[in-house]
Amino acid sequence: MRFDTVIIGGGLAGMACGIRLAEAGLRCAIISQGQSAIHFSSGSFDLLGRMPDGTPVTDPLAGIAALETAEPGHPYAVIGAEACERYARQVPRLLREAGIPVTGECRQNHFRVTPMGKAVPTWLTIDGYLTAAEPGKLSFKTVCIVNVEGFLDFYPEFIAEEFRKYGVTCRFGTVNCPALEEIRRNPSEMRSANIARVFDHDQNLEALAAAIREASAGCDAAILPAIIGINRNDAFQALKGMVEMPLYLLATLPPSIPGIKAQQLLQRRFRALGGEYFLGDTVLRAEVHQQRVQRLFTANHGNITFEADHFVLASGSFFSRGLVATPDRIVEPVFGADTLHVPSRDDWYTTHFFDRQNYQAFGVRTDRSLHVVREGNAIENLYCAGAGLAGFHPIQDGCGAGVSLLSALFVADRISNSKPL
Amino acid sequence: MNIQQNTVSENNFEQCIKCTICTVYCPVAAVNPDYPGPKQAGPDGERLRLKQPDFYDNALKYCMNCKRCEVACPSNVRIGDIIQAARIKYGPKHNTSVRNFVLANTDLVGSLATPFAPIVNMAVGLKPVRMVMDKVMAIDHRRIFPKYAHGTFTAWYRKHAAAQQAAFPQQVAYFHGCYVNYNNPQLGKDLIRIMNALGYGVQLLDKEKCCGVALISNGLYKQAKRQAQTNLASIRSSVNDCRTDVIATSSTCTFTLRDEYPHLLQLPNDDVRDHIELATRYIYRLIQEGKARLKFREDAAPLRVAYHTPCHMEKMGWAYYSIELLRMIPGVEVVVLDSQCCGIAGTYGFKKENYNTSQAVGEPLFRQIEASGADIVATDCETCKWQIEMSTSKACEHPLSILASRLA
Amino acid sequence: MNNTYDVIIIGGGATGAGIARDCSLRGIKALLLERSDIATGATGRNHGLLHSGARYAVTDHESAVECIRENMILRKIAAHCVEETDGLFITLPEDGLEYQATFVDACRRAGIRADIIDPKEALRLEPSANPALIGAVRVPDGAVDPFRLTSSNILDAKAHGAEVRTYTEVKELLREQDRIVGVAAYDHRAKCEVNFYARVVINAGGIWGHGIAAKAGITVNMLPAKGALLIFGHRVNKLVLNRCRKPADADILVPGDTISLIGTTSSKVPYDQIDNMVITPDEVDILLREGEKLAPQLAQTRILRAYAGVRPLVASDDDPSGRTVSRGIVLLDHATRDGMEGFITITGGKLMTYRLMAEWATDLACRKLGIEATCRTAELPLPGSAESRREVEKKLHDKPIVQRRSTISRHGALAVEIDGKSSLKNSLVCECEEVSIGEVEYAMEHLSVNNLIDLRRRTRIGMGTCQGELCACRAAGLMGRKDPVCARKAKEDLVAFLNERWKGMAPIAWGDTLRESEYTSWIYEGVCGLSDERKKTTVK
Repeated sequence: MRFDTVIIGGGLAGMACGIRLAEAGLRCAIISQGQSAIHFSSGSFDLLGRMPDGTPVTDPLAGIAALETAEPGHPYAVIGAEACERYARQVPRLLREAGIPVTGECRQNHFRVTPMGKAVPTWLTIDGYLTAAEPGKLSFKTVCIVNVEGFLDFYPEFIAEEFRKYGVTCRFGTVNCPALEEIRRNPSEMRSANIARVFDHDQNLEALAAAIREASAGCDAAILPAIIGINRNDAFQALKGMVEMPLYLLATLPPSIPGIKAQQLLQRRFRALGGEYFLGDTVLRAEVHQQRVQRLFTANHGNITFEADHFVLASGSFFSRGLVATPDRIVEPVFGADTLHVPSRDDWYTTHFFDRQNYQAFGVRTDRSLHVVREGNAIENLYCAGAGLAGFHPIQDGCGAGVSLLSALFVADRISNSKPL
Repeated sequence: MNIQQNTVSENNFEQCIKCTICTVYCPVAAVNPDYPGPKQAGPDGERLRLKQPDFYDNALKYCMNCKRCEVACPSNVRIGDIIQAARIKYGPKHNTSVRNFVLANTDLVGSLATPFAPIVNMAVGLKPVRMVMDKVMAIDHRRIFPKYAHGTFTAWYRKHAAAQQAAFPQQVAYFHGCYVNYNNPQLGKDLIRIMNALGYGVQLLDKEKCCGVALISNGLYKQAKRQAQTNLASIRSSVNDCRTDVIATSSTCTFTLRDEYPHLLQLPNDDVRDHIELATRYIYRLIQEGKARLKFREDAAPLRVAYHTPCHMEKMGWAYYSIELLRMIPGVEVVVLDSQCCGIAGTYGFKKENYNTSQAVGEPLFRQIEASGADIVATDCETCKWQIEMSTSKACEHPLSILASRLA
Repeated sequence: MNNTYDVIIIGGGATGAGIARDCSLRGIKALLLERSDIATGATGRNHGLLHSGARYAVTDHESAVECIRENMILRKIAAHCVEETDGLFITLPEDGLEYQATFVDACRRAGIRADIIDPKEALRLEPSANPALIGAVRVPDGAVDPFRLTSSNILDAKAHGAEVRTYTEVKELLREQDRIVGVAAYDHRAKCEVNFYARVVINAGGIWGHGIAAKAGITVNMLPAKGALLIFGHRVNKLVLNRCRKPADADILVPGDTISLIGTTSSKVPYDQIDNMVITPDEVDILLREGEKLAPQLAQTRILRAYAGVRPLVASDDDPSGRTVSRGIVLLDHATRDGMEGFITITGGKLMTYRLMAEWATDLACRKLGIEATCRTAELPLPGSAESRREVEKKLHDKPIVQRRSTISRHGALAVEIDGKSSLKNSLVCECEEVSIGEVEYAMEHLSVNNLIDLRRRTRIGMGTCQGELCACRAAGLMGRKDPVCARKAKEDLVAFLNERWKGMAPIAWGDTLRESEYTSWIYEGVCGLSDERKKTTVK
C-alpha cells in the first residue's frame, strides 16, 4: 500500500496531523493499535495550565514564551512560541470542522469543573460542559446536581462539597426509568456508554428532562453527568430545549462520552477527507535505509507493507505502548528510536502518587524539527508528534492536549511544505 | 536484570489495564443485559476462572465472537479469544441440541439439501414450517433462511470448469466454503472468471470440509478440530507440494482458517498461514504489484455501492482491499458504511433466544444502509448478506460478484 | 462511658484479635486497642501460608509440631479463610536430593504427612512448577487469608461482648507502683485522649511490642527482620511451592485467592525504621530471580505490587546480643520477669500459631484474674465458617454466579448478610474482585471499616489486577454520600488510598504496571483534578 504519509497512532496527535495533511490534499493512512486515550477525555483541551515550577498560568501563550528559555527541551520550546501561537489559533477551527464545538482562548485560560468539583485551568472546552472564568465564579447560586440512580462513576456529593466553599447551594436529584432498570440487570455495565444509549431514545430523553425539571425546580441551573448523546449528536441540544433552564454537563469516570464522541468525529472527518484509518493493527517493525523509513510491516497486513514519503510516530506514551518500560530501560518499540530517560529505575518515580513523576516526561529523542533520532542520527522522513515526545509533564503542567495538537500541526506543516520526492 | 524485560505473558489477559474501552464497542453488551460484557467475560473472568474453574458463567454463550472488543482494545488483549477459549475449556460439554447440531453442520445439511433445493427452499419459506422449526428446534420463525442452490458448486466445477484450469500459467487453490458450495455457486463461478481473466487457473483443495466456525460457536469442538485437521492437511499439500496459495471468498472462513485454528483449536498453522488469503486481498496484490490487470466494461450503468465491513473482516483489517477493488471498477461509486456488527454472527441470529438481540445489534447499520442512497450493498461475508437482505430493502452481493459483472 | 475492663489487649493483629475472642468466649470483659486498622502489621504482611510445619521440620521441631496442630484446627474453625491446596517441596538439580530424606523424616517425626512423589506426577499436579525438578514431596500446606481470619476473630469477639477500638493508639501505660492498671490512649478519629483501666494489660503489639513494653520501662529485646514479598496478577500455581532445602530467600510461592505471592527476603532493619518499609530494586531482583526457579512462568507474569512486613523475632533473655533468636512463641509474665504486675507480653510466633498464642496469653490472664474457664477457640468455628460453602451457595441462588462465588469465598456463611435483593445492590463497585454495592455497605456497617484502605482489607476491593483503578473512586463515592463531612473525608481517603496503592506499585512499575499508573494519573490528576493537598514531597 502506498500513501503520501503514514501515521502511526490514532489518538489526538495522529488524528490532528492526518486531518491537516488530508486537508492539504495528501493521501494519508493512520494505523492505530486499538482505540486511543481520547476515550478518557475530560471534555476540555489544555494548552498550558501551570509552569513547571507549579505557578498557575493565566495566559498560556505568555507561558509558552517563557518556556522557550526556561525549558528549552519542552516540545513547545522546540516548536517555538511564535509557531505555537499560529497553530493554537488553528485548533478551534480544526475541531469545529470535525463537529466538536469548542470554546476558549489561547491568551486566557478558563476553568473546567472536574467530576470532583475542582476547578482546573484549561484552554478549550466542548460546549455544554461546565466552566468558570475563575475558580469559584460559577454562574449560579443554587444548583441541582442530578445523577442516574445506581450510576457509580459520578459523585454529586464530591462536587457539592467543593461548590459549597463558594457559597453555592446544592441540591441533589436522581433519575430512573424502566429502560435503566433493564441495563442495571448487568452488574458491571451500568456505565456511561450504556446509559447514554438509553438516552439516545426520544422517549427516555423526555423522561430525563421531566426528572431534571422536577428535581431542579427553584434552582438557577442543573448539572448532569456526561451520559448524553453517544450515537446522536443532537441529544444534548434536545435535552436543553426540554429542560427550560441552564443545564451543564460534567465529565465522568471512563469511558468518557465526550471522548468517545470526539474520537468518532475526528475519525469520520479524517475519512471524509479521504484518509484511510486502520484500526486494531500493530506496526511490528520498519525498514529504514540511509536514514529514511522505507516501509512499515504490520501485524494484520503481513507481506503487504505500508510505503510512504513521510511517516509520523504519534503512537503516544506508555498507555498506548508508544513507549515501553522494561525494568531498566525505556524503549520505543517500532523504530528503536533513542529515548530520553533517567537511567536508574529508582529515579523514575517518587513514592508519593501525586508528586511530579519523572517517568511522565520520558519520551522519544528528536531534533529541533521533531525528526525522530535513532542512534544519534535524525531519520529524515520520520517525525514524532504527541505524547511520545520527551520533556514535558502532560498532567502536572496541564499541557497534554496542547502538545499533541500543536506538535501534530507543526509536523503536518513540515511534511506539506517539504519538497515532493 | 534480565527477567521481565519484555513481558508478554501467555496469559494475555494480564495486559488488560481496565480502561473499559472494549465495553463501549461490544455490540451484545449494548443490547443484552444478560451478557456480562467483554471485560467481565474476558480478562476479569479469566483471572477468576484460573482461581477456580467453577467461576465460569454460562452467559458467556451470548458472546457473538465478533472480536470487535479486540479491535478496540488498546492493550492487545485477545478478549474474544479468551471468551471463546473459556467456553471450550470450562463450558458445558454435552449440551448440543438438535438445533445447534443442524445449524453447526452446514456441510452435512447443505449436502442433504442441495439435491432437493427447490423443495427445501419452498418448505423453509412456508410459515407453518417455520413455526414448527421455531417450536421444535428454537430456530426463530422470523428468520428467513438462505436458499439452497440446486446442485453444488463442486459438482458444477468438476463438470464445467476443472478441465480448462490447467491451461493457465499460474494456479491458485480455492477454499469455497459451504455457502458457495450449497447456497451461492455463482460467487464461485465469478471468482473463477476473475482469476482466469488475471491469468490464474483455479484448483480445488484435495479435500475441503466446512471451516468449522459454526461448529466452534455451537460447542462441537471435537468435530471442529477434526475438520480443521483435514483442511490444514489439504492446505499444506497445496502450499507445500504444489506451491499453490489458497484463497477464500468468505471473510469468516479466511479468518477461521488463519486465526481461530491456532487460537481456539490449538492447531498451529504458522507454516501456511501467510498462504491463506482472502480473494480480494490476493487480487488487490496482483494488480498493485503489476503482475496482472483487469479489463472492465466501460458502458455499464453507474452504480452506488455501500460497503459493509463484516466483523471478522474488521478484525483482519482487510476491508481496505475489497473497497479498493470496488473503487477500481469504472462507474462504481463506493460508500463505506461505519464498521459495525450486523447482528447475525453466523448461526447466532438464527437462534430463537438471540433473535431480538441480533436485530437490535444490527439496527444502526440497517438505518445507515437505508439512508445511504446505495443501489446495492457489498460485503465479504455470507451471513452478513443474509441479515442485510432480510432486514433492509437492499440486495447484498459479494464485491467479487459485482466486479465480475463488470468485466469486459 | 465505663472505661474499666478485665483485660486490655494492645494490638489488632491476628494474635490480639485471637486473645479478644478467647477472652470473650471465657466471659472475660476485654477491650482491644489498635492504633491503626486490624491486621496492618505483620499479620497482613506475610505469605498467607497455611504452614503444615514442613518448612520448620528440620530446623525447629517444636515450631513444626505447633504448626501442624494449628493447621488442622484452622481447617476446622476457619474453613472460609483457608484454602486446602496442599503444597509441594520441590528439589531442583542445584539443591541435590540429599536433603529430601532428612526432610521427610523430620516431617514424619513432627506428625506432618509427607509423601515423596514422582517428578512427573508433581508436574501433573502442579504444571507451573519448574520442569527441571528432580524430586517432590507433598505436604498439607495451604493458604490462609490473614485479613479474613483477623476480621472473623474480631467479629466473634464482639459478638461475645468484647469491645474493639481501632485507630486508638496507646500512648502511656498507667502505673500504680509495681502494677500496670490501664493505658492512656489517643483516639485518632475523635482526636482526643482517653484512659482505659483493666486488671491485666496484654501487649500483643508484635514488633511494636518492644516500644509498648518500653513504656513500662521494660526491655523486650526484639530484632526487626524485614521480609519483602511480590504479588503476582493471577493465580499461577495451584499448590503451594517450596524449595526442598534449608529455608532461604524467596523460596515459597503461595496461591491465595485470586493471586500468587512469592517471598520472602530477610534483612535486619533498625527499630526506628519499622514504620517505614521501602522495597528496594535489589529485593525485587532477588524475589524474581529465585521465584523464577520455583515457577519459570513468573518471569513473564505481571506483578501487582511489592510489600514488606517486619517479623517480631525475639532475642533470648539470656543473650542480649540477639544472636540466638527463637521463632517460637514467647510469653512473658512481667510480674515474674520484671516485677511488674498486671502486664503480659505475647510475641514471637507466627500467623499460623496466633490461636495458640492467644490461648497461652489468655490462660495467663485467667490465672491472674482467678478465672477458671477453659479455652474453646480450637473447637468453635469462627463466624462465617459454621456452614459449608455448598449450603451457603444454595441460599444465594439469585445472585449472579461470579459474584455469588466471590462473596462466599470472602465471607463464608456471612455472605447471606449482604444485601443482594435488587439489581442496584448487586451492581459492581470493583470489577476485578467482584465486589458489589451490597458488599461494600455490609463491610462499612458490620466490619469496622473507617476508610478505603480498611475496606480494601475487608472486601478485596482494589486488590485485583488494576489495584483499585476505578473502584477506589466508586467506593469513595459510596462512603462519601452520607453528608458533607463524609464527602470531604472520603475525598481525603481517596488520596490516601492512591498513595498507598502507589507505594506498592512503584517498586515494580514497569511494563503494564507503568501503563496502568499513567492511566491512573490521567484519571485522577487529569480528569478529576485531584491533588494531595496535605503533603508535597520534593522532586528527586
